[in-house]
Amino acid sequence: MWLNKNITKKKCDPQTLSREMMGYFDLGREDLKGWMKKRFVERFYGAKPHPFVLALQHPSKPTLLGYVVEHQHFLRQWTRSCAYIVAKTDKVDVTLYELDNINTEFGGFGPERPSHYELLLRMGESLGLPRDQVLLTPPLPDTAWAIKSWNEIAETSHWLETMAAMHPLELIANRNLRQDGATVSYFDPSILKGNEVTEATKNFLREGYEADVEHSEEAMDLIEKYSPELGVIEDVQATFMKSIDAFDRYLMARLERGKQFESS
Amino acid sequence: MKVPEGCAICQSTWGDYWAEVEGQRMFFCCDLCETEFRNMIQQIKQRTGWKQIDEVQITGDHRGRECTALSDRGAYRFFIRFNSQGGIETFQEK
Repeated sequence: MWLNKNITKKKCDPQTLSREMMGYFDLGREDLKGWMKKRFVERFYGAKPHPFVLALQHPSKPTLLGYVVEHQHFLRQWTRSCAYIVAKTDKVDVTLYELDNINTEFGGFGPERPSHYELLLRMGESLGLPRDQVLLTPPLPDTAWAIKSWNEIAETSHWLETMAAMHPLELIANRNLRQDGATVSYFDPSILKGNEVTEATKNFLREGYEADVEHSEEAMDLIEKYSPELGVIEDVQATFMKSIDAFDRYLMARLERGKQFESS
Repeated sequence: MKVPEGCAICQSTWGDYWAEVEGQRMFFCCDLCETEFRNMIQQIKQRTGWKQIDEVQITGDHRGRECTALSDRGAYRFFIRFNSQGGIETFQEK
């Protein structure tokens, strides 16, 4: 299945396959950060952008509600994964980065700067979905499967692999990705103006739009910095690929949940 | 039953996994695709009431597949998406 998605669906001889796979993982003239961006863009923002990204360009209320319900589970796992990194690393810059990230995503910085998690729940409330109901809703099977994958990585893999599994996912909302070949942005930025979506929705989307550029870039710089030193470049690449598979499926679960709201 | 070339679900030519489905020996790239195919056939039969399917045409990828089932009673078009265990996540008649 991995070969089908990433290399070719056509069976080939071992020499050809070996060459194709080496080409796929070869950094060439790029750095690791550039390679991750390239693979991420191919998967989510290439000729066939991910269906959730297309739905988010001008999102319907069910699409946003699907986002709220499934993403709460993602953000809880996010914090867990970041905490594993903090527990395992001995690099101070990594610890400081992760602590800041956990606060931005989950803890918040007081009433003036609510966390991404809080902004998500407020978006749900602005669309008529009480937070109690959100918090009581279990994840869809695909979300649960993806979370299990990320948790296993965090539990069993090197902390740098966990960083590579989680932080490049923030590229999804990186507005600068157009410079790296993305055909569309995460959402049409025009929705941040006017009345197409609620103010709480704008606040939630704007936060990711503004924070995720810095988050994803800084984390990938750290991955780039420590991978050669720790001798884990190939492990990092493989784990990153595993993670974007899980993310692809998780984004489909957001859509699936949205469809449930359409029919309710 | 006529099915796409290669794996009956994803058209991959990797693997060497064979299974008997609807009395026919079929090639799949993996057991997951076999499960998906069996579930799809069962769903088509259940929804159409057809006893026999002559052909299944499939395009798309893991994010969803546009399909047409053919029998002597006509054509039945649908969109299908599977979950990570091969179960049907979405089935929409066209």
